[in-house]
Amino acid sequence: MRAEAISAILADLNGSSGDIEASAVVSRDGLMMASLLPNNVEEDRVAAMSAALLALGERTARELERGGLDQMMIHGKEGFVMMRDAGPEAVLTVLAKKEAKLGLVFLDVSRAAKELEKLL
Amino acid sequence: MTGKSQYKFIISGPVGAGKTTAIATLSDIPPVVTDATPTDEVAEQKHQTTVAMDYGTIRLEGGQKVHLYGTPGQERFDFMWDIMTEGALGLLLLLDNSRPDPLDDLERFLRAFSPFLDQAPFCVGITHTDVAAEPPRSAYNRLLAAQGRVVPVFTVDPRSKPDMNLLMLAMLSMIDPSIALTACASREGAEA
Repeated sequence: MRAEAISAILADLNGSSGDIEASAVVSRDGLMMASLLPNNVEEDRVAAMSAALLALGERTARELERGGLDQMMIHGKEGFVMMRDAGPEAVLTVLAKKEAKLGLVFLDVSRAAKELEKLL
Repeated sequence: MTGKSQYKFIISGPVGAGKTTAIATLSDIPPVVTDATPTDEVAEQKHQTTVAMDYGTIRLEGGQKVHLYGTPGQERFDFMWDIMTEGALGLLLLLDNSRPDPLDDLERFLRAFSPFLDQAPFCVGITHTDVAAEPPRSAYNRLLAAQGRVVPVFTVDPRSKPDMNLLMLAMLSMIDPSIALTACASREGAEA
């Protein structure tokens, strides 16, 4: 039931704009909870990497007195990876195209993260 | 690594071996930890697990600085193992004697770190021997010898400063015996 609700939020998010290519919800300790990822992506590793990056981002933000972490973004030559805090238990990871309109993507991602937070 | 006075070492080993504790014991600064609450079977064992890395430093008498990086233990984080061995001089491998098959753990980590261990020294610390006395230390020595590796093996308690210092000194003496001597002097001074 909960897994279905999570998947529905991800499906919504992926459909919300053509800029978002894939998304996943990952536990803080790096395990996949639900995902809509391309077939060629290794889920276990994406989950672990998301948790590791978010933890490092969080620690860095605190160390440099930037407050709690909201979001982490990786800008690759072929697109973006965003990791968004989705409550105390989970992380929302999103893949976006390189020509994505980031403002809109941020908005959609943060909305989805809030819904997830309520659910988890 | 800048200059000759910086040394980077990795602490690795299976989940629950005591890597985070070891760094907290050795470090002169409050260690940097990145942990999360486990949601899998690890939750039965402990309340926090490392998801990115632990970091601590030791300042030696001669002004040299030792940087310690602790890896996550779960295999799904093995990309961190690769990242962290970059520029490292050696590996401290902690193995939990109370796990189902600690000798298999040893083999697994030797395999995982094999490109690194072909060019860098390492030493082994066996932990939780108070919980499980078997296998004996000699079993680890035999396995390592069978692989043609000459490696110091100690039984250690990651909470014990003298134990961890001993392991650290073994590591340092494999890199540079003169540093180990200075380190020995400064460590003893610190405890006196």
